[in-house]
Amino acid sequence: MREESWLRPYVRTYWGRFLIIIALGCLTILTASMLMFTSGFLISKAALRPENILMVYVPIVLVRTFGISRSVVHYVERLVSHDAVLRIVSLMRTRLYRILEPQALFISSRFRTGDMLGVLSDDIQYLQDVYLRTVFPSLIALVMYVGSIAALGFFDIRFALFMALYVFILVAVLPWVSLLITKAKSRLAKQQRNNLYSKLTDAVLGMSDWVISGRQSQFVAAYEADEQEAARVNGQLKSWARWRQLIGQVVVGLSVISMVIWAAHEYAGGHISATLIAAFVLVVFPLMDAFMPVSEAIEKIPSYQTSLQRLGEIERTDGDGATCETADRVAGEKTSGVSAEEVRSLAASDVHLTVQHVSYRYDEASPWSLQDVSLDLPQGKRIAIIGRSGAGKSTLLKLIEGALKPSSGTVSLNGTDAFAIGDHMPQVVSVLNQSPHLFDTTVANNIRLGDRDAEDEDIQRAAAQVKLDQLIESLPLGYKTPMHETGQRFSGGERQRIALARVLLQNNPVVVLDEPTVGLDPRTENDLLATILDTMKGKSLIWVTHHLAGAEHMDEIIFMENGRIEMRGSHAELMETSERYRNLYRLDRPEAFMVK
Amino acid sequence: MDRNLLGYKGIKPTLAAVLLLTLVQSVSIVLLARWLAEVLSALFAGEPLHTQYNKIMMFLGAFLVRHIMGFIQQKISYAFAERTGASLRKQVMEKLFQLGPRFAKQEGTGNLVTLVLEGASKFRNYLELIVPRMAGISIIPWVILIYIFMQDITSGIILILAMPILIVFMILIGLAARKHTEKQLDTYRTLSNHFVDSLRGLETLKLLGQGRSHSDTIARVSDRYRSATMRTLRVAFMSSFALDFFTMLSVAVVAVGLGLRLINGEITLVTGLTVLILAPEYFLPVRMVGADFHATLDGKEAGAAMQLIIDEPLNQESDMEHAGQEERKLSWTKDSCLSLSGIGVQHQQKGPHSLDQVSLNIHGMGKIGIIGASGAGKSTLIDVLGGFLKPSEGSVILDSQQLGSLTTNAWRKLTTYIPQHPYIFGSTLAENIRFYAPDKAASDVERAAAAAGLSELIRTLPHGAEEMIGNGGRQLSGGQEQRVALARAFLSDRPVMLLDEPTAHLDIETEYELKQTMLPLFENKLVFLATHRLHWMPDMDLIIVLEHGRVAETGTHEELIARRGTYYELTQSQLGGVE
Repeated sequence: MREESWLRPYVRTYWGRFLIIIALGCLTILTASMLMFTSGFLISKAALRPENILMVYVPIVLVRTFGISRSVVHYVERLVSHDAVLRIVSLMRTRLYRILEPQALFISSRFRTGDMLGVLSDDIQYLQDVYLRTVFPSLIALVMYVGSIAALGFFDIRFALFMALYVFILVAVLPWVSLLITKAKSRLAKQQRNNLYSKLTDAVLGMSDWVISGRQSQFVAAYEADEQEAARVNGQLKSWARWRQLIGQVVVGLSVISMVIWAAHEYAGGHISATLIAAFVLVVFPLMDAFMPVSEAIEKIPSYQTSLQRLGEIERTDGDGATCETADRVAGEKTSGVSAEEVRSLAASDVHLTVQHVSYRYDEASPWSLQDVSLDLPQGKRIAIIGRSGAGKSTLLKLIEGALKPSSGTVSLNGTDAFAIGDHMPQVVSVLNQSPHLFDTTVANNIRLGDRDAEDEDIQRAAAQVKLDQLIESLPLGYKTPMHETGQRFSGGERQRIALARVLLQNNPVVVLDEPTVGLDPRTENDLLATILDTMKGKSLIWVTHHLAGAEHMDEIIFMENGRIEMRGSHAELMETSERYRNLYRLDRPEAFMVK
Repeated sequence: MDRNLLGYKGIKPTLAAVLLLTLVQSVSIVLLARWLAEVLSALFAGEPLHTQYNKIMMFLGAFLVRHIMGFIQQKISYAFAERTGASLRKQVMEKLFQLGPRFAKQEGTGNLVTLVLEGASKFRNYLELIVPRMAGISIIPWVILIYIFMQDITSGIILILAMPILIVFMILIGLAARKHTEKQLDTYRTLSNHFVDSLRGLETLKLLGQGRSHSDTIARVSDRYRSATMRTLRVAFMSSFALDFFTMLSVAVVAVGLGLRLINGEITLVTGLTVLILAPEYFLPVRMVGADFHATLDGKEAGAAMQLIIDEPLNQESDMEHAGQEERKLSWTKDSCLSLSGIGVQHQQKGPHSLDQVSLNIHGMGKIGIIGASGAGKSTLIDVLGGFLKPSEGSVILDSQQLGSLTTNAWRKLTTYIPQHPYIFGSTLAENIRFYAPDKAASDVERAAAAAGLSELIRTLPHGAEEMIGNGGRQLSGGQEQRVALARAFLSDRPVMLLDEPTAHLDIETEYELKQTMLPLFENKLVFLATHRLHWMPDMDLIIVLEHGRVAETGTHEELIARRGTYYELTQSQLGGVE
């Protein structure tokens, strides 16, 4: 099973720590048991009324030692186990990141629904429990099981085997039955929960429709019915947990009695001294406590499955479909066919981007995403690309960014194949997209992402160019203001300006603008566009847009439909020749408003 | 202790039953200890085993009674928790729908969903734990203590002294831990969010060429996160350490004391053993409260958060509706007249007005455009007109009936609403279209789909109109979502349509086509269209221009252009384009 690869390697890496944790766990139980054992012995011994108090000196010291050390050992055990698990989490995170990183440009299209990345991160967080709640307690119980039976076997092998049966019920039979009973139900409960979750999210997001339709009480009733069904299943699970607890206690009670009877026989047979009767019986209680949690630990196993599956799938799917080339490249450990040197000299010169008769489809069976597209972009040319969703704009951009390899035709920068440049592409082509991520760090660090070596003055200059300097300086902490505190204060336009400042720091000859103004109101959109065009003088621009505002400033406007270029030309040409273009242009600049 | 707790329905019988069971339980604990001690000391004294069988059985009986009592307690508490949790959740749900979409947006969809689902189950967990824990801590230690005092006063004194020390230490350490966590909360938050923040920003990192190198940063930050967590845990685990330490130490001290007094012949072995068995039991209830402390705290907070929503004041006319005016039918015909006078909306007391002194007169059918800069109050006006929001000032008169506001079901039944992103329910396409009018026939649905320009799409879907769409189904494009909403509105036959920025986010070709579809559907209806897309305005019969929450001017496109007022300025500044 592939999923196990998210658990097993870490056991190998940290087996030393694991051993220490298990040893400490056993020691915790041992000290608690020995406290009762020595106490029982001490009292019995004292009841014999020895002449000299020194006769019970050793048991007294032991009782005190065990009384103090149990809490200390337990404290250390918890710290060590959490430390080990956090180390594992750190490794898991790096690993997940390394898996996702090569597919970064395809993530948004692959995980269209929901916050998949957040879910994956939570999955890793959740897998801590595999170790803390399941692996460690089970292993500790197992070691204690073997150890205590062996110790008892030292006195009487037959009785030891008999007691082994009792404990077997606690560490094996009950957990197994528990797993059997709860497995299907837990899965059902989880399913019901997910179902409730999506139903409720649906309802809250579509609340205005429910309110207007006047059907809200209908929804509440249907939802409550589902909740009740979920509560019923949950109640069954709880009920079993209670029964399990009770059965476990009955086993404890029976083993105490068995121990009483055995100890009495042993004493009568002269095999043990009278002082050990109470000791043997009292030690049963704390010892059995160690075995009770095993059922719960085992019962949790199915709940890890979903997380493990999800993580397993991430690894599996990086070898298929949209990302196959990327994965191949990573598998080959060769980041690109072009050296860093060559890319640097490319970036320093004028770049002539050419796209020649490019077609693309994901595989043989799928339809063409792009067919026979050609572009010619000498340094400084500006083009706009317009088309509906699915027209092939994003595919074209990915080809230019070197993330995809054309099925036929070539994409090249000064004759160098774009796909070969691959991971070095950010040194040549900058991208400003619809929702650039602003990281949870300071404003200055966010801008600095464009160029890690940038000085504070460079950052301030970039901020001034995107006209954010005054706003940032007005913040109490200025450039050191943490981003999450500006979340409310920075509007959509301002966030785009921060991203624009990054692009300016990158200072690349070619810039791709992927609908950076979607969702902004016209005033903000116009201002932002003005800033972009102003700061991007001399750079080649490829601007994917959904409006024609600003189209006059482009050298060429390209209309795409179904993977092909439908119409192209400069603004003036298209206004002249195309009725369709005129109609669309009028939506942005209605003639009715052109008042003389 | 939670003061609300005693206010929940059914708490009294539950509490009474649990208290009674706990009392029985504590007596059985004392008995089982006593009987076991008697058996052990008899065997110690050399009595044959068979004379003890009765006692052994009595011990077993007491032992079982103790655990059966616990079993019943848990069952009762769970039933109570389940009932109370469900009723609280139901109240929250109903309240949410009364408060409407504006409240949901303000609180955040994710937060509300989490509160209703996770919060309710945490709260249930809390109730389930708190009842038996409280009963346990208020009975068991005291019964045991009284019995120990009757047996051996010295041990009793040790135990009674240990309890306050233990509790004081636990609280002190708990406070220290909280202070410690609070102090580094900010670093801690950044560190723990760093990973998910990195994943969400992965595309951006990659585009900036930082994807590779960032994986080292992740390892480094994860490591810092670990050290920070461990620093916190070192303190946090101290409180359970103290609990453990004092319990075990007390047991040890009691045991040693018993031993010494046995040597001196002050007590008997039976007493010694009984006290020794009872000593850990004395501390058990406190330890259980300590172990469940965080779970109960979480649940208590969740319950308080839910109560807060239930107590949220209702900005609606529901009082009037309850007063029997539910039946009042409203209608909108070509002769109807709606007048708003002096409408003002203030989201916070003493805050700025989103709408201020808005007065309008609307007659019959027609297309009304609402325009203004961002923040001028377009959406707020649509919310008032759609009955989602009760204005804080002003009055509404509909066909000479005085209404406090439009937030009544009667008015909502006349309206349909199309926002920028219409919500598509996780259901079939046909069900989505039928949403306002669930009883319409398939042929009507088909006609509505055709009118909204969906026929082409339906033809290409494998299951036609029965195709699953929305969450978990086929994703529609922005333009298609608008068409579904249009079909919904068309099928419902309601006379009033409200649209809030329906096309601004679409590409211009889709927008152009959608406009061609929409205009005919607007005929013979009262349409309110709020947008900043100017091209709609010449098609409107009346334009309302908003500025800073006030009506700046009204009129047709030609009139307003001729006036050269706010409208003219607005259009010119937008058309100024990109310099």
